[in-house]
Amino acid sequence: MSEQSTQPQLKWQRTPWLTLGFFIAKEIKLFIKNFTNFLPALAVIFVTDSAWVPYALGGSYLVYIFISALLNHRFFLFALSNDAVHLRTGVLGKKSLTLKYERIQQAELEQTWYFRPFNLTILKVDSAGSAGKEVEIPGLPMQQAQQLRQLMLATAPAVESEPGATTEATQAATAEEPQWQTQFNLAEIIKAGVIDNKIFVLLALLSYPLSQTDWLQEQMVPWLEANIGFIESSLWLNVGLVLAVLSLLFVLAIAVTVITYYDLAVSINGDRYQARSGLFSIRTVSFRYPKLQRVQIKQNIRARLLKRFRVRVSQLQPAMAQHTAGSSAFILPVVNPELLHELRQQLNLTNANQVHWQSISALALLSPTFWVAWLAPITCLIGYFAIELSLTSSFLIAVLLWGLMQTYVVFRWRNYGFSYDSTWLAVKHGVLGRTENWYPYYKIQQLDVYQSPWLRMLGFAHIIVHTAAGAEVIKYQSLASALQLQQQWIQQVGQNQQRWM
Amino acid sequence: MSITWQPVEPAYKTSLQIAVILDMGLLAIVGAVFYLWVPNTSWLPNALWLAIPWAVITLFLGLFWSSRRFQFTAYARTDASMYLRRGALWRLTRAVPLNRIQHVEVRQGLIERTLGLAHLTLYTAGSGGADLSIPGLKLATAEAMKAALVDAIATESSPVATETEEHV
Repeated sequence: MSEQSTQPQLKWQRTPWLTLGFFIAKEIKLFIKNFTNFLPALAVIFVTDSAWVPYALGGSYLVYIFISALLNHRFFLFALSNDAVHLRTGVLGKKSLTLKYERIQQAELEQTWYFRPFNLTILKVDSAGSAGKEVEIPGLPMQQAQQLRQLMLATAPAVESEPGATTEATQAATAEEPQWQTQFNLAEIIKAGVIDNKIFVLLALLSYPLSQTDWLQEQMVPWLEANIGFIESSLWLNVGLVLAVLSLLFVLAIAVTVITYYDLAVSINGDRYQARSGLFSIRTVSFRYPKLQRVQIKQNIRARLLKRFRVRVSQLQPAMAQHTAGSSAFILPVVNPELLHELRQQLNLTNANQVHWQSISALALLSPTFWVAWLAPITCLIGYFAIELSLTSSFLIAVLLWGLMQTYVVFRWRNYGFSYDSTWLAVKHGVLGRTENWYPYYKIQQLDVYQSPWLRMLGFAHIIVHTAAGAEVIKYQSLASALQLQQQWIQQVGQNQQRWM
Repeated sequence: MSITWQPVEPAYKTSLQIAVILDMGLLAIVGAVFYLWVPNTSWLPNALWLAIPWAVITLFLGLFWSSRRFQFTAYARTDASMYLRRGALWRLTRAVPLNRIQHVEVRQGLIERTLGLAHLTLYTAGSGGADLSIPGLKLATAEAMKAALVDAIATESSPVATETEEHV
């Protein structure tokens, strides 16, 4: 290999024995990801009569995991030089990879719970772009990893095109204290748990395996009948039991959020934003301002009652990381109004009370109103003929349902708004919850003006804005103004020299 | 600033019509196979119930749709962006800034090759396949446009490159 001949001083290292756990975890993740591949094996387990088959399959799988983790650990070699990370991996197919520091977009330290007691860490390195590579080096000593990360980040901004950002970032990387910092206390994180409650996800997860087997029918119900027969005697006890289970799930779901976001600390250092959190495993996510693709400020109905916001910043991810999305997005799950104000300033968003929201034409109501109008007669007919309600009650239900839907349609139209100025394009929508999406202009990749036959009849068009963080539709603009906005924006993007990847 | 739309080659209409005939012909063959070779056709509706709509759709697509689509399809190039109009009933005007283009491609399908046509496709990064494809160009025109675009993209990015060098 030429790389070896030019750099004979490379010292290839193996990760410590402790990292075997990391490789095992990786195998297990792989197993969950490719779960469908194992469905035939599962089918065999269910079909077979012999008692030993499940154990044999499970046991051989465990052995397989252990051996492949062992081999992967044996054959994972890395070397650090002054300007690059070198990796040599692969048991049968060999892979050799060199990542120059100056090409590195992101370098994060992840302290998982099984490394924390030993003061070890995982270094995660991204080189973004269309052929993004992600590299993980497990089991580095904390101090060495931190130094390495500093080195990478100090070298990285050199490829950045904006002179201002470069100097700032270099300064920031060398500076010890971040320029702006905030900490979230436990009460706030619990609020985040209430807002982002995964109770329904938990319920679905629990109910699926139960529904798949007859275990509930065959074992649980007779057992319950035999042992706690008194339940049936009291309706209130039943209701209480269900409520208790639900509230337990609710608390469990809050606990999930608390474990993920415990001790959340956000710091801003030049153009680098960082969030650190976690009770057992400490996770760091960060992004650099020039790579920002979208800022989403979201409130669901619980968040509105608690007067909190959820802020999510999207950046361009390497293609591989996109599939495991969510894990690497920069999310602040609970932001109070004052902090939101401050964040908007830090992110250079237009001041909340200076945003000029434009509403869309009332003709946008026509099409949904038309479809909702079908609802009333259909409900009435179903109520009368299929469910055999009386004529008046089916009529009343139909009117009520139609009224609700129509109100929803009107509010959705009323709360929809968009705004644009010299740097940002913003769209807000939502009836019960509220969402605001902010896109910087210079990240726009394509602009579409779309007309269906219906829109053409009315003389309107939708503007579809494509960015790397997804597409946003600005509805019901008059065709002339849509085409004019398209030209104006595309001109602005075309003349912008800022990096956009 | 107004943009000047360039129409595509009239042969594009022919290529659309050929595609319509091929697609509808395939459908017709499948239908014919069903009616002629399936042993018991009593459960199928009378063949005319399918043949008449088929003929109407074929005529509609072959005469009305393809000419409307040809009429509306046009492209425009400004100094900083590329525009494309396409569609017949559902219409889309797409604009791509030149400095977002990742690579440019000239492609020829089988029908296009017999008619001497090609299409020029611009890819933008990170959009996952959504891009701009100008159909119905003469092969020479497409090649020339590709060369001009590649040129423009190269000069577009050079100020950035020099700036970085100065800085380093």
